[in-house]
Amino acid sequence: MSAPPGPHARLAGGLLLWYGVLGGAVAWSVHALAAWSLSELACASGSERVAAVPLWEAVGLAVVIPGLAAVGSLLVAVLAWRRTTRARPAGGDSALGRSRMLAAVGIWSNLLFLTIIALGGVAVLVLPPCQR
Amino acid sequence: MSTTSTPSAGVGREDLERLAAHWEERPSLRAWLSTVDHKKIGRRYLVTAGFFFVLAGLSALVMRTQLGRPESGLVAPQEYNQLFSMHGTAMVFLFATPMLFGFGNFLVPLMIGSRDMAFPRLNAFGYWVFLFAGLFMWASLPFGAAPNNGWFGYVPLSDEQNNPGLHMDVYALGLLFLGISTTSGAINFIVTALKLRAPGMSLNRVPLFVWAIVATAFMVVFALPALNADNAMLFLDRRFGTHFFDPSHGGNVLLWQHLFWIFGHPDVYIIVMPALGIVSAVLPAFTRRGVVGYVLVVLAIVSISIISFGVWVHHMFATGLPQLSFSFFSAASTIITIPSGVQIFAWLATMLLGRLVLRVPLLFVIGFIVTFVLGGFTGAMFAVTAFDQQTTDTYFVVAHFHYVLIGGAVFPMLAGVYYWLPKITGRMYHEGLARWAFWLFFTGMHVTFFPMHLYGLFGMPRRVYTYPNIAGWAGWNLVSTIGSYLLALGVLLTIVGVVHTLRRGRPAPPDPWGGDTLEWSTASPPEPYNFPVLPRVHSLHPTWDARTAESTGPGASADRVLSGGRRTLLTSELDARQERAVAMPESTLKPLALAGALLLGFTALLLAWYPVAVVAALAVAATLAVWLWPPRLPEQEEVGP
Ligand code: HEM
Ligand SMILES: [Cu+2]
Repeated sequence: MSAPPGPHARLAGGLLLWYGVLGGAVAWSVHALAAWSLSELACASGSERVAAVPLWEAVGLAVVIPGLAAVGSLLVAVLAWRRTTRARPAGGDSALGRSRMLAAVGIWSNLLFLTIIALGGVAVLVLPPCQR
Repeated sequence: MSTTSTPSAGVGREDLERLAAHWEERPSLRAWLSTVDHKKIGRRYLVTAGFFFVLAGLSALVMRTQLGRPESGLVAPQEYNQLFSMHGTAMVFLFATPMLFGFGNFLVPLMIGSRDMAFPRLNAFGYWVFLFAGLFMWASLPFGAAPNNGWFGYVPLSDEQNNPGLHMDVYALGLLFLGISTTSGAINFIVTALKLRAPGMSLNRVPLFVWAIVATAFMVVFALPALNADNAMLFLDRRFGTHFFDPSHGGNVLLWQHLFWIFGHPDVYIIVMPALGIVSAVLPAFTRRGVVGYVLVVLAIVSISIISFGVWVHHMFATGLPQLSFSFFSAASTIITIPSGVQIFAWLATMLLGRLVLRVPLLFVIGFIVTFVLGGFTGAMFAVTAFDQQTTDTYFVVAHFHYVLIGGAVFPMLAGVYYWLPKITGRMYHEGLARWAFWLFFTGMHVTFFPMHLYGLFGMPRRVYTYPNIAGWAGWNLVSTIGSYLLALGVLLTIVGVVHTLRRGRPAPPDPWGGDTLEWSTASPPEPYNFPVLPRVHSLHPTWDARTAESTGPGASADRVLSGGRRTLLTSELDARQERAVAMPESTLKPLALAGALLLGFTALLLAWYPVAVVAALAVAATLAVWLWPPRLPEQEEVGP
């Protein structure tokens, strides 16, 4: 059962796979905390700027950068899914099965988190930053 | 569907005798107090949490009796405050979470094919702390010193100036004390599920219930520190004059709310998530197929547990933060319905595609789906901020969260109680009695809580001890009260049913339902060592899988019998590759002693006997030192990989 993973399964373990599985979740957490605290702190201090950057741009960055990280994570998950599907041996090695499952979880969760980040982005476009 | 008794071809008589000798605990008071067996501890959790449920339920009955007619004088306002506060606090902290931990303790080692939890002594410790903390809090009620500021204890209403007396000290200390139990239990679940899974049970073969428990445990580990910090600061503010929450000295009142809801929103899922895991565990047996969309359900579990941390601000829409910052939380709050919906659809699809066997556990699952979905609808209504503003702090909210909590936790728990009763007690329950219990509970639940939507919309505020005779309020309140008695009758019948099972039930076969997870491959009730041969798992449905069954039959290898001492098998985290055997601890009184010393300490703090508190702290340190002192190890046996 514990044969060493073949060359196809390079994505089957290791950090890259975990980026594909959890990247979107981490990116969204960073987005929510950064965007929220930026608008919260700037507005509370009565200015619409963060260190001379207008608040709109600053919050926008807190959307775009995590968004890109989540897209990257989605791509990695798709890649991992395709490799593990192709490399699936007849016997059903448990390591490959596990990686395939993680890749599938990664694909769906990245889509989910990407949607939330995108909705956050829409809010930045629509709402004036400090309106109550 | 049932198989004959397990002890299989894979082990010889001699091995079985050695296993029994190593794991047996002879009945005596000392053995009872010192056991570290996860099954006994799990059972105790279930019984104790059930007991606290009954106490909290009785508080609710008193409240409903008081509210049955307008201007009634059964209880005084101060008493009413304590009743609803203790009811909410106990239901959330002393019943829902520990009850699910009870299921987890009994089932996780059985489901993953292990002989116990990773840290059995920590497990025993967690139970004693839970028991003591629960008694600590309930004991305040007869003295009229129970918490009186709602289950979320908002500052400044809970500070020393506005709320003198012991009430909120009981709340803060009680929850801190209990937090020790919950945290240690959660860590134990995580390590157990990562390291003790049977060989071959890679992540894609882990039962959904275990996924749910592990996700919950992670949520506990991340969420509870916020609550603990809150309560520690509250106690310091009240007792020692610090100013964490006092704006006149540079403190911040909103701090309480932020920290409370950083814990509190995930806590809703901490309660509901394992219950949903029970649903996923019960369904396969009564639909004769695996839950549809395993990967999607795992995804839902994992993503809910992450998203639930990012939405706490939606409890604070009334605090005047900028619109933009609200919107980041609104997006996530609405999106969390997607993974919840995914699970519901997976279950409905399972029921549509399977062959339904309508036994009582399945009835409770159906009751759960109906009730929970209704609660979900009214929850979605709050996402409309205007509606939220209108209904905040009315009975509409009380109706909503009882639909979610009773629907999402109590129905699945009762499904689980009936489903696993044969495994836990070794006896079958009485089907007719159980059906009556279901229908009374289901009818009672809806008759009690549906009208609350109505008088909530008519403007009746929550947390009032009485109300004037206003048209539309009085009649519906009476209906609610009648419903609550029906519901109580349902609970009573369940208790009668459990006692009947213990006394009169037919002996249960190992697998009365044809379940798909490993606990059904053991005897009912399981032997103290769980599995004579630790199985090797080949699929997601091990008991439906001939190769897994063979692995404990003639195909058993000596390294999975491990009869030379209390031992179980360590495997790798992701793929469950066999690593080595590890020794498991014998029973011991140290967990009880440590929990007792902590109880003394918390009581002394509450009553301001500081010298006693210091003595208790020393006792805690001494017990810990004795506990952690490296034992003299017996000769290690060599075990192959
Ligand atoms: C078994 C039947 C139950 C009945 C008849 C019942 C009844 C009530 C009533 C009448 C109140 C409102 C008190 C008020 O606002 O004046 C209440 C509050 C509450 N209930 Fe229940 N309840 C039941 C079960 C549960 C369960 C199972 C849970 C949780 C797992 C729960 C959690 C709560 C909470 C958190 C509150 C709010 C307390 C507060 O305002 O701080 N209840 N319940
Ligand atoms: Cu919430």
